[in-house]
Amino acid sequence: METIKTPTGDTIYSKTLSNGLTCFVLPKPKFLRTYGVLSTRYGSLDSRFRLKGSGQADAPIGVPAGIAHFLEHKLFEEEEGNVFGRFAEWGASVNAFTSYNQTSYLFTTTENWKGCLTLLMEFVNRPFLTKENVEKEKGIIVQELQMYADHPDHRIHTLLLENLYHEHPVRLDIGGTVESVQSITVEDLFRCYNTFYQPNNLALAVVGDVDPKETLQIIEANYPAWTKEQGAIERLYPEEPRGVKSDWVEEQLHISQPRYLLGFKHEPLWQGEDLLRQQVIMSIALRLIAGRSSISYGNLYEADLINDSFGASFNGDPQYAYSVIGSETRDPDALHAQLRTIIDGLKAGGVSASDVERLKRQLHGAHLASYDSFEYTANRLISYYFREMPLHKYLDLLQSVTTEEVQEALVRQLDWDHATISIIRPVINND
Amino acid sequence: MKFVERELGQGVRLHLCETDKFKSLTCKVFIQQDLKGKDATSTALLPLLLRRGSQKFPSTLHIARELEDLYAAELGSDVLKIGERQILEFYLQMVDPSLLPEGDTLLERSLRTFWEIFTQPQGPGDRFVDSYFEQERSTLEQDLKGLVNDRRSYALARFVALMCADEPFGIYKYGDLDTLTQLTNGDVFEHYQNLLWKYPVDIFCVGRNLDRVAKLFASLIPSRDRTTQLETATKIQVDDERFFEETMDLNQAVLAMGYRTNRTYLDDDYYALLVANGILGGFAHSKLFMNVREKASLAYYVGSNIEGSKGLMTITAGISDDKQEEALQIIKEQVTAMQQGEITPDELEQTKRGLIGAMTSINDNPAGIIDRNLIGIVEGELRTIDQVVESIRRVEYDACIRVMQDIKLDTTYILRPQSTEPKEQEGAYHGDH
Repeated sequence: METIKTPTGDTIYSKTLSNGLTCFVLPKPKFLRTYGVLSTRYGSLDSRFRLKGSGQADAPIGVPAGIAHFLEHKLFEEEEGNVFGRFAEWGASVNAFTSYNQTSYLFTTTENWKGCLTLLMEFVNRPFLTKENVEKEKGIIVQELQMYADHPDHRIHTLLLENLYHEHPVRLDIGGTVESVQSITVEDLFRCYNTFYQPNNLALAVVGDVDPKETLQIIEANYPAWTKEQGAIERLYPEEPRGVKSDWVEEQLHISQPRYLLGFKHEPLWQGEDLLRQQVIMSIALRLIAGRSSISYGNLYEADLINDSFGASFNGDPQYAYSVIGSETRDPDALHAQLRTIIDGLKAGGVSASDVERLKRQLHGAHLASYDSFEYTANRLISYYFREMPLHKYLDLLQSVTTEEVQEALVRQLDWDHATISIIRPVINND
Repeated sequence: MKFVERELGQGVRLHLCETDKFKSLTCKVFIQQDLKGKDATSTALLPLLLRRGSQKFPSTLHIARELEDLYAAELGSDVLKIGERQILEFYLQMVDPSLLPEGDTLLERSLRTFWEIFTQPQGPGDRFVDSYFEQERSTLEQDLKGLVNDRRSYALARFVALMCADEPFGIYKYGDLDTLTQLTNGDVFEHYQNLLWKYPVDIFCVGRNLDRVAKLFASLIPSRDRTTQLETATKIQVDDERFFEETMDLNQAVLAMGYRTNRTYLDDDYYALLVANGILGGFAHSKLFMNVREKASLAYYVGSNIEGSKGLMTITAGISDDKQEEALQIIKEQVTAMQQGEITPDELEQTKRGLIGAMTSINDNPAGIIDRNLIGIVEGELRTIDQVVESIRRVEYDACIRVMQDIKLDTTYILRPQSTEPKEQEGAYHGDH
């Protein structure tokens, strides 16, 4: 059992079991709630892969988009009904979510956390997939995709990614497309389940007023044996050109104000500790543009070109990396022109050391505060582990970031030759 | 998690919950007033205006930089509606100062900043900065118009406005566009000064070293000898059921049904009403969810909730347009079934456990620990989490049936997709967007 001290004085315990499952336990004395999450390193991006050493042909396997999310829906179903009712008997709630590179199943409870934990491990390891229940689920998932398609924030993000990327699956909705979902078969689902739900591809985190030793014993004693094939997973991604597919795209929706989103496509050069460092650097760089403390925020607000929705983020992974900056705005074209001037000004040497130091203080405080959230802490333990990012080094890394690095990142990463602008305008009504 | 109460002058109460459980310090200030047409819109402007700048931090930029220097302290303001009261909220959340370098000085600096920003706005002293006022009036105008972007919220706001047209409860918590255009900077400033110094104030703090926090607040808040008395919520008898239908450009119809429960927070059977509501539509195992969604597949979402100060039960559902008759029928059947005693021991037990679990979990969330007292301060009776859990535990089958028998349907509202064929029904209401 390994231990790491958090900067807020807690201890994180971790262990990789003999079946390959990695576990994290964060005891939180005096708290009444327990949160548990079991995640597989498998998301919407993993639609082409090879399973080495499984005795199968070494040919790459390709499956329709949207299977990770489809499996997330189906694992709740059991032969005797669904698993929600069994958690409800303890007043507990259970849920799940799928991202580009991870699928997570979670529970939260104030009663019988041991029962909940055992049930979580059981139901994720007991797929009940039939031709009938898979067909029935397609209707529900298609409704879900269409609901998101009507959501302006979701829509503008998808529109941007579809045009930043040519081939990489990050350009597709996590749930897939209506067509891809319709074409999914029971065999596809089992193929992916058997590949990506092997214990050595999973991680489990428990946060609450629990004893770490006892928690690990419960997991070891109750984690179901894996009887299916095993092997090393090789994920295959298409060759992605460096340039963007299209640099300006527009659509219309029934909304009250236009929305603007600017995206920069970065070369994905970072892994592990480098990726964490790049995240910190980009957090600071983007706060200089879109943070409430930036001069540009005040100016754009005074000019009535942005509102509270104005914000920016860096999204990085070993396979892809991009940054977005956007807002609701009365005039997307004027906002774009202003942002261009602001970003070019910062790139030309406008980063001040005092701004960087102040933003480092903010990130320091935000990091400490984040340990109060069970969900955020547990999910981050797992997502950092999957990306080999050293959480315990965060504050040291933050302290060591220099003004020059921030300046350089702005110049290199916010490159107009690799940018896409997506805009959604209100439909002109004739009533 | 218990609060200790201290009075800082007539109508100004400090509620302190000393604990080392969290890595944060959380403070919230609530100022309540009666919900009234003109005042509601004025109050809604205050959070927008106050974030623009204070005497010491004259712009949003200065405020933001101070908060960054305070290690990501969060400071904000909002407007809430509980029953027929409108509440202006100011909050501060920061990392527990003892975990920070120079923690000692940071605690005092944070509290002084917090109080300064919310009580000393930038301006000449008798009004807000004129340009800030005009800009924030336009922000609120955009927000009020933007309500249509979220179909469900829009439908609910329309439903409440129609059902409670003759009661203060019908007023939207952020006011209305007509009033907004008439308000002057001076009006709003005067209302703001009245609110700060003449209306009931409750300050809640959760964290460590609250003795110091209490001393600081006591030194910052001027004493007063009188506080405005507030009204209690109006009670309405239902004579005839009403039905409203409006149309909009959307794909899915939104249904809302409002029942007068004839029970409020201060009534003995209040927790039976909460349990009955949970059985009807509060959980994934509830009657509405099981019958309308799972069995009949008529809705993507369906549920019910209680407004405990006003005593309303609201059922909402998103249904396909051609299925509304069927959905209405199934919903009414579920209500009738409960009135006739159809509650299984499992339903009762799972619902009580679900409610108790949710209530107990609040102990782990500092903002939640504070917010759950809002109805208590409005109704003048604070209850601890343990008291509430015990009250829920004691709810029995008979009481659930009894409270359900007393509910009365007042208003049914449907926001429908615009049909392709002209369908101008007589007596139908139309959205004014």
